[in-house]
Amino acid sequence: MLSSLLKGIKLSLHNRRLIFVYYLANLVFALIVMVPFRSTLMSFAGNTLMGEKLAGRMDMDFAVEFIVRNSTTLGSLTFLLLVAAWLYWIFNLYLSGGAYVVLASGETYDPVRFWGNAGNYFGRFIRLFLWSIPLLVVFYCIQFVVPLVVRLVWGSDPYQSILWWSRWVRVGLAYWGILMYLIVFDYARIFAIMTDEPGMGKALRRGFRFSFKHVVTTFGISLTLFATGFLMLLVYNPLADALHAPNVFAIVALLIVQQTYIFLRMALRLTLYASQAHLYQKHHPKRTEEKLDSIQSVVIQPASE
Amino acid sequence: MRALPLLCTILFAGMCIAQPVLFPTPLSPRIANYNIDVRLDVQTRTLKGRETLLWFNKSADTIRELQFHLYLNAFRNTKSTFMKESGVSVRGTKIDEDGWGFINVGNITTASGENVTQQLQYIHPDDDNENDKTVGRLPLSQGLAPGDSILLNIDFLDRMPQPPFARTGAKEEYYFIGQWFPKVGVYIDGKWNCHQFHATTEFFADFGVYNVHMTVPEKNILGATGIQVEVRNNGDGTATHFYHAEDVHDFAWTTSPEFVEFTGEAEGVKIRALMQPDHIDQGARHIEAAKTAITYFHKWYGTYPFPNLTVVDPRRGAAGSGGMEYPTLITAGTSYGMPEGLRFVELVVIHEFGHNYWYHLLASNEFEETWMDEGINTYTEYQIMNDRYGPTGDGIDLFGLKINDQQLFRSQYLLLPDVDPAVRNAWQYYSGGSYGTNSYVKPGLLLSTLHNYLGKETMLKIMRTYVERWSFKHPKSKDFIAVANEVSGQNLDWFFDQALYTNAVLDYAVDQVSTRPVPKNRGFDITRSVDSLAAGSNEGKESEGISSSDSTTMYLSEVKIRRLGAFKFPVELEVRFENGETTREKWDGLELWKKFTYTRSSRLVYATVDPDHKVALDVNFTNNSKTIATHELGIDKVAVRFLFWVQSMLDLPEWLNITALFDGLF
Repeated sequence: MLSSLLKGIKLSLHNRRLIFVYYLANLVFALIVMVPFRSTLMSFAGNTLMGEKLAGRMDMDFAVEFIVRNSTTLGSLTFLLLVAAWLYWIFNLYLSGGAYVVLASGETYDPVRFWGNAGNYFGRFIRLFLWSIPLLVVFYCIQFVVPLVVRLVWGSDPYQSILWWSRWVRVGLAYWGILMYLIVFDYARIFAIMTDEPGMGKALRRGFRFSFKHVVTTFGISLTLFATGFLMLLVYNPLADALHAPNVFAIVALLIVQQTYIFLRMALRLTLYASQAHLYQKHHPKRTEEKLDSIQSVVIQPASE
Repeated sequence: MRALPLLCTILFAGMCIAQPVLFPTPLSPRIANYNIDVRLDVQTRTLKGRETLLWFNKSADTIRELQFHLYLNAFRNTKSTFMKESGVSVRGTKIDEDGWGFINVGNITTASGENVTQQLQYIHPDDDNENDKTVGRLPLSQGLAPGDSILLNIDFLDRMPQPPFARTGAKEEYYFIGQWFPKVGVYIDGKWNCHQFHATTEFFADFGVYNVHMTVPEKNILGATGIQVEVRNNGDGTATHFYHAEDVHDFAWTTSPEFVEFTGEAEGVKIRALMQPDHIDQGARHIEAAKTAITYFHKWYGTYPFPNLTVVDPRRGAAGSGGMEYPTLITAGTSYGMPEGLRFVELVVIHEFGHNYWYHLLASNEFEETWMDEGINTYTEYQIMNDRYGPTGDGIDLFGLKINDQQLFRSQYLLLPDVDPAVRNAWQYYSGGSYGTNSYVKPGLLLSTLHNYLGKETMLKIMRTYVERWSFKHPKSKDFIAVANEVSGQNLDWFFDQALYTNAVLDYAVDQVSTRPVPKNRGFDITRSVDSLAAGSNEGKESEGISSSDSTTMYLSEVKIRRLGAFKFPVELEVRFENGETTREKWDGLELWKKFTYTRSSRLVYATVDPDHKVALDVNFTNNSKTIATHELGIDKVAVRFLFWVQSMLDLPEWLNITALFDGLF
């Protein structure tokens, strides 16, 4: 596990342009939602003292008034956010083909290879996602075991303390379920790339088998990076909170801190991809060698000049 | 007949052996006095009781009937007025399939032994619902002259709703018992005031002395209105708790074997908190909140004359009995793991204790003028929360999110500011939301506005005078207004008329601001003769005599303020110029708009109405000001935070950042 993690960190450090692509995608999709929001905000409070006050901490009276008096616009913005979130997810699925190929090859970012393979695997990954929906449902529903256990052990009228702790267990199981689903989905994608397997049902089964055959390592890698992300958050929160001064320097500093945090999150994701690819390669060296050779030939070559 | 009151009193007092005396001089008229003996049967969720009512006619009329509240019949079936209005659900609580409750009145006998049971009739003074049995009428065979009294013995059987519904009922071994005995209405203004139990009504009753014996399982802990006099073990697995209360207008009690007791004291008042086992870690928090409430009320609004206060923590699954007030007994409501930064425990305890002034001491008619309890109480809650836990985040202070109690509730007002006037019968508001807005939030805001308008000291003096003068007298809105007028030395009718009796919305806005250089004087000089004008000697040249003597550029700044709502209120206008000069103007706010013009050597920066944020009733604070320059910095700050929030949200599949989503916005 450690060797895969170290390899993943090394590869992501060598692929800063790849991280940047992911970061940029996140930023662009977020801007699609933010720009109309800013426009609404500007027309509501741009020429008021409240607008000036907003440079400091959020005024709750303003927040309430803004929501109440712009409910229609905010409703549309919420819809836009949901659409953007779906499109962003699909776009990430698209990018992942290129990312896995680049990271599995152990080389640095090459736009032709990256974008070529992103397009090459996109159709298959969409099918893989559709195949995986029942699995997602099953993993997500594991958490519902908790209330059943509580009812069995403590009856229909348990103390609030039992309910409170069981809710945390349930949240933990929900996280675990989603994490396990994502792990299976990741290794299914890696399998599809490494074997050039056209059948996504088979890829999902293989991904599932690999994930659980090496569950300590596969889950360990994800959990380590999950925990790292959480630690980053613990650092980020007080830092961002400290930057509340109503001046341009504090706001620019806040922007830098925020974007650095998001950039590092993208780095974490690619570290995860690289570590997973390395782990898979370690357990299937022969298959990997053959495939890496074939990947070179699959790559869309630039038009000859 | 003159001997009757004395006889009744002797009979009544004789039923209570070793009755203590709390107040040698009665604090109240003591019109409705009760001795009640009741036994709880936990197997059937029933209370079997006998009540002896001693009622004095302290009116100037001869009384020919008595009217009683039989509140528990609201939960008898789906046909009661309460259930029809509530949709069989109150505050998210629904009655269990077998959880219906009722009160059945058995024998009614007079002091002379006459059985008058058959004369009891159910009436429905508020609607035409013949199935509603929450009010009973008992014609008297002989009129009761002014000064006379009547003694009645009434047997009754209660079945408590499950789970607790509309503040009364049972959940497993936990009982909260309120509105549970045949309770005489109030004879006032020459008639009976005895309304049906509605989904949005609370209560109105006369003061008296209560002696109540409650028999419950011996393992049970019990809390009740008044003071505990005696606990007697009956040797049959039950114990009888005897409580005595004076100058109260209701009696409620609770019992459970699981209560864990916490105690404290503030201003000589003994505090007892009956906590649920899974809230033990919050026992001290409840006691501290009660101490805060007692201390502030004592300091600001007058003495709490009673020796004790009991705070009840409702059982899990019994939230329907939470957040309620009875004389010297209140219910709070919390949940396991409640963070300190969510000050709901403090808010509820302070609010419910406040009722022991506005609901208990003042005892206004909550059926008809609910704002006089809930509204005034909401205002005092805002003030205490802010003084104790403020100035920011007095309600919520968690993960950087700071929201004041008043801000929390103001949002409710913004959603329904003009559907109803504040004062109307509680069951006749447009909706439950409108009842809440007009009973709690709007009166809280209007009194905060008055507080800021008159100043804290004057407002405290008004409140203290009101408590001193009207305790135990059932004041009406006009009485409160009269005190406010007298103490402030102003006629505030214009304010209360709009705030209480109309749906007028208060919204003042700076609509337009502009600032531009004053043009140099050009054109014909009107001081010249027509002949010289004809000669064209001055055409196109600067006029003489009206030009500025120095070369300083002057700016003409205009500010237009509008009154966007129907509510008229005097407001201040603050105008600031680039050179730092600040001017304040007063506007009576009567017209629809007003223009202010300034000629200064400096440009206008901004104009704002209500610069000190005094007018809490204003429904739009954002439009209170207008600036010449656009404040992109503030907008960008929020936009930056929003951008981060969206970026995190988009990346949700990895579920790393729930806290960031929360923190990112604030």
